[in-house]
Amino acid sequence: MKKSAVGSVFALLLISAVVLPVFLSSYQWPVTARDHLELKGVEESGATNLVSAIYLGYRAYDTLGETIVLLVAVTGTIGILKKAGAVLEDRHSFALPGEMRRANYMRTHLLEAVTSKLGPIVLLFGFYVMLYGHLSPGGGFQGGVVVASGIVFLALGSSGNASSALIRQDMLGRIEAVAFLMLLILSISGIFTGEGFLDNPLKHYSSLPAAFIIVLNIIIGLKVGAGIGVMCIIMLGKE
Amino acid sequence: MTVILLLFILGLGIYTLFTKDLLHSVIALSAISLLSAMLFYILHAPDVAITEAAVGAGVSTIIFVWIIRHTDRKESDS
Repeated sequence: MKKSAVGSVFALLLISAVVLPVFLSSYQWPVTARDHLELKGVEESGATNLVSAIYLGYRAYDTLGETIVLLVAVTGTIGILKKAGAVLEDRHSFALPGEMRRANYMRTHLLEAVTSKLGPIVLLFGFYVMLYGHLSPGGGFQGGVVVASGIVFLALGSSGNASSALIRQDMLGRIEAVAFLMLLILSISGIFTGEGFLDNPLKHYSSLPAAFIIVLNIIIGLKVGAGIGVMCIIMLGKE
Repeated sequence: MTVILLLFILGLGIYTLFTKDLLHSVIALSAISLLSAMLFYILHAPDVAITEAAVGAGVSTIIFVWIIRHTDRKESDS
C-alpha cells in the first residue's frame, strides 16, 4: 500500500511538471493558421465542418499515417489473438449453437434480442456520420467506429446459423484491405492530374469542392469500421 | 455543469482504481467515457464526443470484458 501511495504521488508530480508550464506560461499562441482557416477554410475546402476540412484537406498526409497506424495495430492484435485463440477457443465461445447454451453464460436472450434489433440502426447511424462528415460533426474515423459497434452488435445478436455476411472475418478483412488500397490509389491520383500528393484530382473540373473529402471519408470509414469490427469479432470468438 | 461532470469523473476514476471487482471497474470506466463525451459536447467539440462515446464506451469496454472473461474477475489480495 505504501509503495503504491509513493507511486501515485510521483505520478501526480510528473503530470503537474508536464502540464503546469502550459497553464503558467504567458507565451502568445500562434494564430496565423487559425485565422487563415477561419477566414478561408470553408471557401477553400467546401466543407462546413472545419475539422473534416483540416484532417482530410490540409492535413491529409497525417491522416494517411493514422490509417497505417490503425492497420498495423489491428494486424498485430489479430496476430496475437490468433496465436492465443487456439488455446482459449473451446472454453466458452460466444458462437455456440442454441443447444449448447449452457457454457455460454454471458450471452442471454435479452442480449440477443436487443443487440440484433439495435445493430442495423447503429450501422445506419454510423454511415450517416461517415457520409455527412463534411457538413456535420463526425467523419470517417468516428463513423467507422460507430459502424464497428454496429457490426459487433450484429455479431452478438446473430443466433447460430442466421448470421449475415457482414460479421464474417474474411469478408471484413477483405473490405479493410480493399479500402486501404483505394485510399492509396486515391492519394496518388492527385499527382497524375498535376495537383500533388493527396490533393483533390478533380479540383478544377468538379463543381462540388467537398467531393474528395466525402470520398475519403467513406473509404476511411469503411476501413476503420471493418478493421475494428474484425478485431472485436475475433476477440468474441466468432468464426 | 462542467465542474459537476468533472467531479463525477473523478469519483468514478477513484472507484475504478480501488474496487476489487474488475467488472465493476470496467463499467465505471465506460461511465467515465460517457460523462467525458458529455463534457466534450458541452465544450463544443462534438467530433471528439462521438469518438469518445464510440471508442471509450463501446469498443474498449468490449475489449476489457473479453480480457476479464479469459482471466479472473476478482482481484487477488497479494
